[in-house]
Amino acid sequence: MNALAASAAWLQPALVVAVAFRVAAGEADAPWLALTALVAPLVALLASGRPSSRNPVVAVVAAVAVTLLLGADFLVAADVATLLGASRWHGVALAALPALAVAAWAPARRVSPWALAVAAAVLLLVPAAVALAAGAMPWSAWHRSGVRGALTFSDGSAWVTGGERFARATTLRFAEGQRVVALAPGVYRVVERDAATPTVREWRLASGEALTLRPGDELTVEAGARVRFEAGRRVPGAPASGITWADAPARGPRMLPAALGALVTLLGGALALVPQARRGRVAVAGPAVLLAVMMAALAWGVYAAAVPDLVLAGAWPAPLLRLPALALGPAAGLPLAALSGLALVVMLATAALALRERLARASSPAPELWVAVIVAATALAAWSFDPWRVLTLALGLAAAAWAPARLAPSTTGALAGPIVGGVTFVTLAALPILASGTPAWLEALARYPALVAMPLGWLAARLMPPGGPGVAEA
Amino acid sequence: MSGPRGRRIGIAALLVLLAIAPLLALAPAAPGAVRIAGVSVLWWYVGFAAPLAATVLATLLLAHDAE
Repeated sequence: MNALAASAAWLQPALVVAVAFRVAAGEADAPWLALTALVAPLVALLASGRPSSRNPVVAVVAAVAVTLLLGADFLVAADVATLLGASRWHGVALAALPALAVAAWAPARRVSPWALAVAAAVLLLVPAAVALAAGAMPWSAWHRSGVRGALTFSDGSAWVTGGERFARATTLRFAEGQRVVALAPGVYRVVERDAATPTVREWRLASGEALTLRPGDELTVEAGARVRFEAGRRVPGAPASGITWADAPARGPRMLPAALGALVTLLGGALALVPQARRGRVAVAGPAVLLAVMMAALAWGVYAAAVPDLVLAGAWPAPLLRLPALALGPAAGLPLAALSGLALVVMLATAALALRERLARASSPAPELWVAVIVAATALAAWSFDPWRVLTLALGLAAAAWAPARLAPSTTGALAGPIVGGVTFVTLAALPILASGTPAWLEALARYPALVAMPLGWLAARLMPPGGPGVAEA
Repeated sequence: MSGPRGRRIGIAALLVLLAIAPLLALAPAAPGAVRIAGVSVLWWYVGFAAPLAATVLATLLLAHDAE
C-alpha cells in the first residue's frame, strides 16, 4: 500500500474537526494533540514491517474499533445536521451512505488516494482565503487572539441577532450576569451557586421568554435548544481573556499523565490503523497530505478563535461551517463552506475505504461484516455521545489491543498481547462506572486507558515465547 | 545508512519531536509561554517547527529506501 492510501485511515473527519475545534476553544491539550495527530501516522508509516496477526481477538477488537471510529464521524455529521436545522438522522444517514457506497464501487480503491489529496488541498482554501481577506497570516491571527481582553459577544454575532441552536446538550457557566432569551420552547435547568448549597431550578420556557443569570450560575440546555444572548457580555464557557486562551491556566505538571495518555492513545491508534507504507518517490505524497490536512485544521482553529462564540454550542463542526461566511461574507464564504464540507465527505469516504481494508485483513472481508459495522456505527450516533470520548475510546482500544499484534514477534505473542491490552483497557475505561468517585490520580487513566493498557499489551506480546510458524499478515 | 537502521533512528527522532511539546507546555515556569514575535514558543513549535521537521524527516526516509 502506498503512503497516501495508508494515511487515509488516519485522516478521519472527526479527528480533523476535533483539532480545529480544540484549538479555537483554547483547550489546554490542543497543542500536543495537534502535533501528535500529525506525527503519530508518520511513525506508523515508518514502523517496521512485521505484519499484524489475524486471530479471533484482533478480529473482534478491529471490528469494535472501526465501529467506534465511524461512530465518531457520524456523530460529527449529526452535529452538522443539527446546526443546519435538520434532524440528527439526516446527517447520520448522509454520512453512512458514502461509507457504504465505497465498499460497493470497484474503482474506489484506485481513485481514493488522489481524492484524498484533492480534499486536503480544498481544506487549505478557507484558511488561505481568510489570510488574504484579513491580511493576517495564522501567526498574526494567533497574536491578535492572544492579546484580547474579555471574550464577549459582538453586536453582529448570530447568537445576539437572531439566536443560534445548540447541537448537543450543553452546560454553560456564566462569569458575569446575562439575560438569555429562549427562542424555542423547552426545559432550561439553572444551578445557582451563590449560597453554600447550590440551588437547582428547572424552567419550562416558551419561545420569547427570558432567564436572568447571575455570575457563577450554570445553565443546562437540551440538544436543539435555540437561545439569544446579550451583546457585549462574556461568552459563557469561553476563556476569560486572550491570554487565558493562549496559555491555558490548566497547563502544568499535574496535566502530565493526561498528556502522556493522549500521546500513547494517538500513537498506538496510528500503529494499528496505518500500515507500513511501500517506499518510493510516490511515498512522499503521504506525509505531504498529512501535513496539509493538519496545518489546515490548525489554521482553521486559530482563525476561528477570533470569534469565541463559534465554539459555544459545543459542536465540533461549528468553526468549519460558520467561519467562512463570517470572515469572507456570505457571497464567498457560503460556497467555500460547502466546498469544505464536501472535502470532509470525501475524506470520510476515503477513510471508510481504508478502514474496510484494515478490517478485512484483521477480521474478514465479508461484505456483511462491513454492513454490520456501518449499522452499529449509525446506531451509536443516534445517541448524543461526546464524539471526543468515542474517538479516544476507538483509538485507545486499537492502541491497547490491536497495535500489540503488529508489534508481536510470534503468533502466541500476537494473541497474548491483544488479550492483556484489551482486558486492561476495558477495566480502566469502565472504572468511572464501576467505582463512582474515582480518585483524581486515576482520572487520567480512565480518560486514556491506553496509557497503561498499550505498554502491558506490548510487553505481553514481546515476552511470549514463539509458539507457531510466524505471523500471518492481517 | 541502511534502510531499517535509518528508519529506527527516524522513528526515535519523531518521538523526541513529539515529547518536546508536552515538556514545553507543562514544565514548571512554563517555558512554552515565552513569546517570540508575538507567538508563544509552544505554538511556534507545534504549529511550525516540529510539523515541518517531522514531515521532511519522514519524507526523506520513505523516499530514500527506494533509491
